[in-house]
Amino acid sequence: MTVPLGGVLLAGAAVTALIIVLLAAVAAVHLLRGRRTSRDERRKRELMPLVHAVLDDDPDDGIPRSDVLGAPADLDEIVLDLLPQLRGSDRETLRLLLAERGVVSRAVADLSARKPWRRGRAVSLLGSAAGTHHVAAMAALLADRSLEVRCAAARALGKAGDPGAVAHLLHAVAGERALPTGVVGMALLDLGTTALPILRDALTGEHGASRALVAELLGVHGDPSAAPALEDLVRDAREDRGVRRTAAAALGRIGSPTSTEPLVSALTNSTDPRLQRTAAEALGRIGDPTATIPLLAGLADDDVAVRAACADALAALGAEGRASLEQVAAGAGAAAPDAQAALDELDGPVRRPQPAGVA
Amino acid sequence: MSHVLVVDDDPVIADLVAFRLGRLGLEVSVESDGEAGLAAARQLRPDLVVLDWMMPRMNGLEVCAALRSDADPALARTPVLLLTAKAQEPDLERGFAAGATDFVTKPFSTRELISRVTAALPPGSVSA
Repeated sequence: MTVPLGGVLLAGAAVTALIIVLLAAVAAVHLLRGRRTSRDERRKRELMPLVHAVLDDDPDDGIPRSDVLGAPADLDEIVLDLLPQLRGSDRETLRLLLAERGVVSRAVADLSARKPWRRGRAVSLLGSAAGTHHVAAMAALLADRSLEVRCAAARALGKAGDPGAVAHLLHAVAGERALPTGVVGMALLDLGTTALPILRDALTGEHGASRALVAELLGVHGDPSAAPALEDLVRDAREDRGVRRTAAAALGRIGSPTSTEPLVSALTNSTDPRLQRTAAEALGRIGDPTATIPLLAGLADDDVAVRAACADALAALGAEGRASLEQVAAGAGAAAPDAQAALDELDGPVRRPQPAGVA
Repeated sequence: MSHVLVVDDDPVIADLVAFRLGRLGLEVSVESDGEAGLAAARQLRPDLVVLDWMMPRMNGLEVCAALRSDADPALARTPVLLLTAKAQEPDLERGFAAGATDFVTKPFSTRELISRVTAALPPGSVSA
């Protein structure tokens, strides 16, 4: 089959023209974007003196307040960008400015907007700009029909910093419109140590998911005041297994010697190998030598992961634990390989092969 | 007049810090990346460097270490204040190991920054 030369040339010209048009379009987009960026930066530079004036300790020779309040909306963008990077009186000053400029009241009105993106944006803005005000209105969005809005509300409550939000956030980890525990956990951590008393009380809460989350957070905080309540959770055989495990791990992080007894009890008496393993790991972290004998007994456990955790915990107990491990490693019992592996790890970064099915 | 070099790739933060330090009667220069910051430090011989950690080209730790190993003993002794969001224990260790004199962690307070700058400069450098 032969193709007419004219047709080939025509097709080639069309393709070339198309490429030229596309290249021109890309160049135009770059040019416009560059101009927009330059314009935004210029506007920001022009408005920065207003931000400086607001934050200045000595406003006598500053800019009139009316100029600041009447400045274009770009000023709000600058302030909202700056807010997360500042704290103390600077942050409060900028929050007050946003309130005076009507940014906060507009966001409150937008919390009930029809479009989810507007509700999400409004609650995020309030979390940064409104401080501890409007917590109830923000918390109402934890039950929003949109998951994105619910997550935005949780993050905003964390940023707002009011410990009064703890109960709302914990309620949001259960139910039909439950939030991912990771999102709620990060928000609760953002609240900082002011939330600790409320978190301790929440260890006796209604839902297992929230009790487990609270136990984990108290462990992350390393809160010694939470140890007695966490020890009660580990002791309670009727408690959810996941909650007991999380409480045991938290006790290991807190590191109080008062926790040795309930952890030893969990290691010795529990029928849940995962709890036994967690208890052994926690005992290793606490480092109380009175756990040596129960941990040695754990080296004879049927579950290989429990034996390994006990061996590692003994290795962490110091000279006494090491001497016990050397004795076991020299013998011919089932725990000898685990004891030897734990000793090897003490002497260098040798990884014990993980048994099948052990996470 | 004492001279402070501010090195931060965020122009809003750099402007704010420069403004607040300028109000103290200090001479302030600003650079927006580590490489330019190091070059400016070698040229201007500032009395103090306020340095962001995470920056393009050269990060704050690299700049700090380069200053400390500079052939000029006066420049090698220049106080360096790290202004950074990295506030974990290992970060502080790394910062001090690189030669930082002090830390201000983000989110930060300009009042705290001013106090630390004042403490790092020779007495009388800062007007009340």
